[in-house]
Amino acid sequence: MNIDDLKDAWKNDEQGFVHLPIDMAIQGKTISAVTRIRKNMKSEFIGTLCSYFIFIWFLFFRQTDPFLFNITSLLFFSMVILNAYYFFKFYVFYRSISKYDASVKSSITKVAYELELNTEIYKAHSFCITPIAIMVAIGLLCGKQTSIYILQGLTDASHNSSSHLLIMLGILLISFAGAFVLINLHIGLKYGKYLAELKAIIRDLGEEAI
Amino acid sequence: MQLIEEHKGMLFKICRIYQDDDADRDDLMQEMILQLWLAFDSFQGKSKFSSWMYRVALNTAILFFKKQKRRPDSEQLPDQLDHLQAQELDTEKDEQLALFYKALKQLNKVEKALIFLYMEDQPYEDIALNLGISEVNVRVRLNRTKNKLKDIIKSMNYEYR
Repeated sequence: MNIDDLKDAWKNDEQGFVHLPIDMAIQGKTISAVTRIRKNMKSEFIGTLCSYFIFIWFLFFRQTDPFLFNITSLLFFSMVILNAYYFFKFYVFYRSISKYDASVKSSITKVAYELELNTEIYKAHSFCITPIAIMVAIGLLCGKQTSIYILQGLTDASHNSSSHLLIMLGILLISFAGAFVLINLHIGLKYGKYLAELKAIIRDLGEEAI
Repeated sequence: MQLIEEHKGMLFKICRIYQDDDADRDDLMQEMILQLWLAFDSFQGKSKFSSWMYRVALNTAILFFKKQKRRPDSEQLPDQLDHLQAQELDTEKDEQLALFYKALKQLNKVEKALIFLYMEDQPYEDIALNLGISEVNVRVRLNRTKNKLKDIIKSMNYEYR
């Protein structure tokens, strides 16, 4: 057996496949990695908008404490601004559509770059938003007792109030740490293997590899 | 669509090289046709249609993600699932080709692309353009990959000249 002797058999080989009609194939949906991320982001954007309606409903119809109402409104407003900024970034990013008509090296480099950039933006977005969302949820769901507790921590100078402040800072710290760990784990599990594979191919295609 | 139809055989071979089971091959086939369709506007006719098609199809195959619910990459297919083995192999050449495809599975994605373009009789210059590496690099890598294939085939207890 020799690879060059197989060329004729190779040319005549078309066996073993169910012939997928081309017109059906072009009506299908793409399952490329970047497209899938775009789809996920779109769903996330819709989910975020829906959550705003729930937050607003809770804020105006369920929260009766004026202090919690004010502080939650401020946090909610900050969250909306941050989300608007990041979703605008994602939108701009999505407009640069990847086509696979460049050389293998260029295409893979571009996709790997887009994938890594997008996941980093997503990590930054989630890291900023998740702790604020947790605080907004606390503000929306808690009542008078929590309001007094927070006010003591923020305004009193007694030893007791310092512990309140420390507990609040602890909750913040845990929220940020939790968001950091979970987002990195999620991204790593979902796209880490794929990114590593793309980077290995890019390294492999480097001229120095010969 | 007609142009894609004319070159469909090439797409089948790429599916066969890059994916192990029929469902993944069907998914890859659909993805390649779709990407060719989406990228068709960028085909300016400066190169042969087949060269442009090689590039888009290979990029799609290399960047193709299997669906999560399916078997991970690292798991090897049991032999009986490889439909090539289930088919009647008419001639010695067919048998050798089936073995060749099996050996190709042990190459990495870039090596598969190299061998595919070589088997398609693409000149070194075109292979270099499609992969984005130099012609010298193509020659060196091709020799290295052929030797690797030779070792793989020999390890399957088959004579290789």
